[in-house]
Amino acid sequence: MENIKKPSPVNGIQGYFKKNMGTIVALLVLVVIVSISTPKFLTGSNLLNLLKSNAVNAILCCGMLMAILMGQIDISVGSTVGLSGVVGAYLITNAGLPVWLVVPCCLLVGVLIGLINGVSIAYFSIPAFVATLATMSIGRGLTEIISGGVSIRIRNDAYTAIGLKSIGDLSVIVVYAVVIILITWVLLNRTRFGYFLYAIGGNKLASDYSGVNTKFYNMIPYVLIGALSSIGGVIWSARLGSAAATLGSGFEMDAIAAVVIGGTSMSGGVGTVGGTVIGILIIGVITNGLNLMGINSFWQDVFKGIIILTAVIVDVLRKRRYTDN
Amino acid sequence: MSENTLLRMRNISKSFASNKVLVDVSLEVGAGEVVALLGENGAGKSTLIKILGGIYRADSGEIYLNGELKNIHSAAVAGANGIRIIHQEIILVPDRSVAANVFLGREYVNRLGLIDRERMERETQALLDEFHINIRAEQNVRELSIGMQQLVEIIKAISAEARIVVMDEPTSSLSQAEVAELFKIIRILKERGIGIIYISHRIEELFEITDRILVLRDGLLVGNVPTKEAEKDALITLMVGRSLKNYYTRSDHPVGNVSLEVKNLSHARFFKDISFKAHYGEIVGFAGLVGARRTELMKTIFGAYHKAGGQVLLDGGELHIRRPADAIASGIAYVSEDRRNEGLVLLNSVEFNMGLVCLRDFVRGIRVDKAKWGRMVEQYRRKFSIRISSPRQRAGNLSGGNQQKVVLSKWLALNPKVIILDEPTRGIDVGSKAEIYEIIDHLASQGTSIIMVSSELPEIINMCNRCYVMCEGRITGELEQAAFSQEAIMKYATSVRHS
Repeated sequence: MENIKKPSPVNGIQGYFKKNMGTIVALLVLVVIVSISTPKFLTGSNLLNLLKSNAVNAILCCGMLMAILMGQIDISVGSTVGLSGVVGAYLITNAGLPVWLVVPCCLLVGVLIGLINGVSIAYFSIPAFVATLATMSIGRGLTEIISGGVSIRIRNDAYTAIGLKSIGDLSVIVVYAVVIILITWVLLNRTRFGYFLYAIGGNKLASDYSGVNTKFYNMIPYVLIGALSSIGGVIWSARLGSAAATLGSGFEMDAIAAVVIGGTSMSGGVGTVGGTVIGILIIGVITNGLNLMGINSFWQDVFKGIIILTAVIVDVLRKRRYTDN
Repeated sequence: MSENTLLRMRNISKSFASNKVLVDVSLEVGAGEVVALLGENGAGKSTLIKILGGIYRADSGEIYLNGELKNIHSAAVAGANGIRIIHQEIILVPDRSVAANVFLGREYVNRLGLIDRERMERETQALLDEFHINIRAEQNVRELSIGMQQLVEIIKAISAEARIVVMDEPTSSLSQAEVAELFKIIRILKERGIGIIYISHRIEELFEITDRILVLRDGLLVGNVPTKEAEKDALITLMVGRSLKNYYTRSDHPVGNVSLEVKNLSHARFFKDISFKAHYGEIVGFAGLVGARRTELMKTIFGAYHKAGGQVLLDGGELHIRRPADAIASGIAYVSEDRRNEGLVLLNSVEFNMGLVCLRDFVRGIRVDKAKWGRMVEQYRRKFSIRISSPRQRAGNLSGGNQQKVVLSKWLALNPKVIILDEPTRGIDVGSKAEIYEIIDHLASQGTSIIMVSSELPEIINMCNRCYVMCEGRITGELEQAAFSQEAIMKYATSVRHS
């Protein structure tokens, strides 16, 4: 018998800092660099703005985390944001439907796309990348068709209030994001669903042999991702007061980046909501900082790409060190 | 059927494609009984177990539990009926806690539907303490040694209401101390009236722990004896189905000069200071237990893994092998133990696979010499009597024996000076095994230098001229043919652990 005398795993705040040390340090370093380069960064209004502009990404990340935890991916989220946003704008503006009917319709759009993704991936064993690439194309195409290639203006105040309302100085969409993050945390850490998700990502065979319905539990997260993306679409179109065919394009990149930077392993089984939150903040600070410095968005894409690559390489190296022992 | 018969499998048959894997196999396990399932690779043991576990479905036959007919059509149903299978490979989720693994698929939830982690950890810890396993329930499985992980599998299997526990080669990666621990656990389970099916190749173990031994051969149940009355030699004869003498081929031929010489070869994490020599016309064996790092050593020589230090010499000249292509260019072939993943492109044809190593001989620029390629395939098909319907048949559809012959052909087309055979008969039926031995002996008699890694001691003892024994990344012994014996080899194979 071997004698293992390791300190018991620390939970709570202390454990959180310990587990996410690397990313927390990276976030702090970034904050320091950006604060030095531009005095406008560390102001209350800018920080509130930073939270507001990353709220939708945070909502998408909750879904993306689930896909990546299973060792898979969903690249259709940006297109689902666009489709549900444009559907919302169309129904409000062109069809004149009331808000209470429009929002469920948008959610339905997301759920349907998620269902297509989930069923193709879990039941037809189509690689997640390919399945979601296909639905991404379908979603983008439909978005163009419905919008007719032009931006649809939204003049319904009840609808735009979904994105524009604020509680004091805090935008309501930050509140949505926080609530969704908390729900996701409970889902992943305190329910069977969450346990199965980690198990499927960590060792699918083990889950199968333990009697877990791996196909079903592989499908459900995609439905949730679809729903979350459509929530993102409603919020984003409400906030902008319009929806164009390009709505949400590239959103999947930010979500993948934040989740991976947050320490989630692309091969599945490892990752936390807490880590993802730091990832979201890192992406947020980078985007916000580069904006304040007046660097154009094309360069921002280049940086984000480099950051994703770096984060994945770090993950691979960490894994390699593990097997060394 | 006696009163306390727990499990009864009746006339179970199963075929894959045209391959009959199980024919009319019946088996009974009583409460508190440990039944051994003995048989060679490919005898049908794992298929039988997978049928019991609901992973495969039998083509015909019935399964009774406590005299009740059951339709076990999924792993979940098997689990619900108290059937627990501990698979040979450890199947746990590495980055989750011991408790999460033990309770996977049947987590405790409170009234709100939220996971009750404390209760799961408390109960897991109680079990671990009960069986004196010195780990903590909240530890990550990844932090545990392989042996410990195996014990976690067992805890997982028995934590829920278990009635039948199947252990598939549970000791293959355990140290002596851990084996003793396992046997203690098995005795406790026996007292509780749980039925155990115990699969192992290590016949000595069966005498220590089992009550009855069933022998399977080529899908047929050929023996059913109480352990007390069983005799080792008789069991082997039952298992192999023929006397071992004409099973192996060994011709007398001279051994030539040194071919491959390895000096102080080391790998960053697998092995250290390995030195050995091989000669032309000689079959050198590498014996050892699972985890002795023999495969890793061979892959390093072949350039698939990077060495940390040391030299590899061929015909006295040092080789600088940085990738498999370099080894192949020097005339070293490596036949992998993992035929399906590392040996063959299963979806492609026999012809395609046979041409892979020497593709250059058949494809020059944009010119494909189909005729020459076909002649080569035909030559080996005849030489090794490979049973294929056409050269374009998919490699994945062949039997293990025929697949191995295809892999051998692919490498022999290279005319290698040294050929490394890693578990050359793993998963191959008895008939093909004898044919493979014949091929190996023939190669040696023609002067090829052969290095054979094998975990089957009889194979080493009956085929090799000389053998090295490895244990935990070191060579712990070297034996000449005259000194071969199971005991001597096992002593070296476990030597590090004893010290």
